[in-house]
Amino acid sequence: MVAIVAILLGAAVLLFSSLPSADAFNARVERIFVENDDLTSQAEIKLLEILALSGTAFADTLSSYRVVIYVLMVFATLLLVAALAILVTLVTLNRRLAQVERAGIRVASLVIDREARKVYLNDLELSLTEAALETLAALAEARMDDDILSGVELEAVITGRPAADCDEAAGATRIKRLRDTLGNQLVSELLVRTVARRGYMLAIDKRVIRMT
Amino acid sequence: MKHAPRLAVVLTAIALALPGAAAADCYADYKAKRDRPLQLHYGVIALPPAACNPGAAGAEIARRIGADGWTLLNVMGIFGPEGLAQRQADAGRFFLRY
Repeated sequence: MVAIVAILLGAAVLLFSSLPSADAFNARVERIFVENDDLTSQAEIKLLEILALSGTAFADTLSSYRVVIYVLMVFATLLLVAALAILVTLVTLNRRLAQVERAGIRVASLVIDREARKVYLNDLELSLTEAALETLAALAEARMDDDILSGVELEAVITGRPAADCDEAAGATRIKRLRDTLGNQLVSELLVRTVARRGYMLAIDKRVIRMT
Repeated sequence: MKHAPRLAVVLTAIALALPGAAAADCYADYKAKRDRPLQLHYGVIALPPAACNPGAAGAEIARRIGADGWTLLNVMGIFGPEGLAQRQADAGRFFLRY
């Protein structure tokens, strides 16, 4: 940040000091006049004077553009700084997102209230259907026991039927319905995690679960 | 014949003065400038015999044109009256002005 301001100041000083003044043009014209012995006729001298005048006019125009150039430079620098800041934010966010995806959602507390049919996730109130609540409760209890439920087991726990009578598809459907009810892709994908070949689990710290 | 000696004196004086006058016919052409706005001119100037060498000519010319605000840029050359005719057109209003 300081470097950028320093560069800006340096460029401003350079801009204001290195512009050609009218004298530079006049000095050049004088030199041409002196060095060329055959520039003596009045017409030629008049042309040299006109040359000097046009140089002066150019220098004046340039100095009036100086301010414009400086303002544009400031704008460009501000844009640069803003772009840098946004880039840094973007990178940080990406990193944090990757972190969240790896670590699962940071759940400080998960309160499942069966009677009210509500779930309080980090004090965020989520309202669920009865079926979704049952599925979530089953997963929560399994999590507290460090268990992973497959589709068959989930179906068995909820319906009370023996595992032999249940099929994987029914369990998978319950999970899908729970995720749909939770809505918000991020939450449902991270909260109800699919473990390959083994089943489903709640991706949270088991100590934060409270069932009432 | 009463006037003869006086006449002789006068004639001698003239005879002596003539070479002096011929020596005073030294001219120089120069280039000068004035600032703000830039003005340039090429001029011819008559010099006294003492200033007929390149060193003194510069100082003499600079002094004389400086009265009008002109700055001498360079002395191009020193010549006698025979070179006046060809330079008159170029010098224009600065021919033997200062």
